[in-house]
Amino acid sequence: MVTVAGIYAYAPAIAALPLASFLVALFAGRWLPKEGALAGILATGGSLVLSAVTLVELVLTGEGYDERLYTFVAPAETFDLGFGVLIDPLSAAMLVIVSLIAFLVHVFSLGYMNDEGEPGLPRYYAGLGLFSFSMLAFVFASNLLMAFVFFELVGLCSWLLIGHWYREAAPPSAAKKAFLVTRFGDYFFLVGLVGVLATFGTARFAGEGGFPAGPTPVSALIHAATMVAAGVFLLARMYGFYALLPTVLAIIAFTGGFTALFAASMAVVKDEIKQVLAYSTISQYGYMMLALGAGGYVAAFFHLTTHAVFKALLFLGAGSVIIAMHHEEDMWLMGGLKEEMRVTYLTFVAGSLALAGIFPFAGFWSKDEVLFETLVHGLGANPLLLGGYLLGLSAVFVTGFYTLRMVMLTFHGDPRTDAAADPHGVGWNVKFPLAVLGVLATVGGYLNPAPLAKLTGAEVDFLHRYLDGPASEELLTSAHHYGDLTHEWAGYTAGSVAGGETATMLGGAGLSLALALAGAGTAFVLYRGPDPDRHTEALGDLRTVLVSNYYQDEYQVWLAEGLTLRTAIAADTFDQGVIDGAVDAVSSVSLFSGDRLRRLQTGVVTNYAALIALSVLLGLAAFAVVGGWL
Amino acid sequence: MVLSSVPAEYYLLLSAAVFCTGLFGILTRENALMFLMSVELMLNAANINLVAFSFYWGTLTGQVFTLFTMALAAAEVAIGIGIILVLYRNFDDVDVTGPTTLRW
Repeated sequence: MVTVAGIYAYAPAIAALPLASFLVALFAGRWLPKEGALAGILATGGSLVLSAVTLVELVLTGEGYDERLYTFVAPAETFDLGFGVLIDPLSAAMLVIVSLIAFLVHVFSLGYMNDEGEPGLPRYYAGLGLFSFSMLAFVFASNLLMAFVFFELVGLCSWLLIGHWYREAAPPSAAKKAFLVTRFGDYFFLVGLVGVLATFGTARFAGEGGFPAGPTPVSALIHAATMVAAGVFLLARMYGFYALLPTVLAIIAFTGGFTALFAASMAVVKDEIKQVLAYSTISQYGYMMLALGAGGYVAAFFHLTTHAVFKALLFLGAGSVIIAMHHEEDMWLMGGLKEEMRVTYLTFVAGSLALAGIFPFAGFWSKDEVLFETLVHGLGANPLLLGGYLLGLSAVFVTGFYTLRMVMLTFHGDPRTDAAADPHGVGWNVKFPLAVLGVLATVGGYLNPAPLAKLTGAEVDFLHRYLDGPASEELLTSAHHYGDLTHEWAGYTAGSVAGGETATMLGGAGLSLALALAGAGTAFVLYRGPDPDRHTEALGDLRTVLVSNYYQDEYQVWLAEGLTLRTAIAADTFDQGVIDGAVDAVSSVSLFSGDRLRRLQTGVVTNYAALIALSVLLGLAAFAVVGGWL
Repeated sequence: MVLSSVPAEYYLLLSAAVFCTGLFGILTRENALMFLMSVELMLNAANINLVAFSFYWGTLTGQVFTLFTMALAAAEVAIGIGIILVLYRNFDDVDVTGPTTLRW
């Protein structure tokens, strides 16, 4: 038990504030100016301040916080179930990220929803509030049960928000899909929860299937800071368990590398700006899984941080473009927006370069550290990690390509439609979040420039030091503790190519930067002119496969209709015919004999009375004979 | 005491006679009210037995038990009369051999 420091007592309020805004927006939103947006902005702003203060407190005092708020079942009885707050470096930093993104998304929504006169605003802001509340509570959850409860709530909110425009055709169906995918993950979460220490498996939280149809700010929140991040965060939270299981780690790493490439390849051919971003999110979470599996706990969280920033930026930038384009999302109908939308363009480019991993933007540092950790541990005799590394490395090229393609198609060349030639302006409430995130995406990498720290010996790898700080020491969640665990239990050792660690690091970084530049350069050259061609058409059949997402949806439909439905029908026939038949046969014997036997009854009371009297007499006679009275 | 001069066997005989009267009534009568009376007779035959033995052994247990039996008999009569009323309402008669439709 860590001692209670003053400010930590207010930690539950970080989550409680958005809960309050949820209630306000839900019950009073209709009569408020901006229909609940202000309550949400105030609440998430408050959460942001509180979490920042908490973070500062943690850094200054070097003490974490582990407090139980409510107990379902006391530890003395079989299980220890309860709600609590756990503040350690990981959760404190995550709280800041989540509340920052939630705050900016609320501000952005003013421009995206209110100014555009969208219907159902109180419902929308209530959803955002509940979403922020669930995610924040999930982050500081002190145990798996609480994490599970709030993870479920996050899933519910994503369903609510993705299906916000429920009168249209696509959103409800997308919401349903998102809900089912989440439920699928939850199922394994529950299995893991019940088997707590026995069942670890399922890296399924990387989550497949895009969520393309919700309001754009919602996408920013889901992709950057909540839903999808939740899976990675959970893995990081429980890293102490995973670090003991070399096989699981290797599988997580390989799946991560594969996901990174797999999802990136689909993003290459997408025509809608939000779809590109959605698949890029999956791809980036692949990197985080790769890092976690490869023992790069700090690297994974670093990438989670920078990705939260630049992906939120990109989604909000896309939202800004969509406002300007009068709700058109097809990039082929855009073009030439950079002159008219200066702020959006600049920030979007910053985000894109970060995503592509170009020096010196945030994504370069974090992605490079992910790949470096994978490489050194892979070289330490772990071929599966090397495989993951190669997949991740190839994805760097693809990422560079689709990112620049997106930028070029959206902002460069000549306007291809009237809407693109005369875009609708966006207000401060759109530009402000973009500017904040744009700056962060540019400089965020200096949170943990590990290569600089190694080269110069300067202590600039702040995030690493922070996650390794004294506050995490007591709670056994420090980075070097995990390092020891992966080393001792999973046998992870660092290897290097000729020239030692520094050469490996520089070589790896140079290689990934070169690949990113090559990918970006290819896209730049291909889509440069005023009226670029649809170069992806040249891929022919491959493009069809990619556009259809490797037929995942078709496969799932086949799984449901071709396999599950047929099996169910066969099982039903068997059930009705054989099992029910047997039961019916047995019962028909009883029915028939019962029917015959009941004919004995006369229904005349006197007969029964006579029978009873007779039986008593017979009984008496029997007693008399047996008992020897006669 | 007069009672103490009467041997227990006499009470038993009386009880048996009353019981058999009741049984006879149940087996031969068709009127539901007669049924009810016959049942009362049988119950009271049992009561006579209880009191007689109680007296014979000089304890109060049997007599207390009899009080319970009487309360039970009262409850039984209440229900019995209820049944008879319903019977009359449905069949315009209190003949117990008539209504046999509950058998199957």
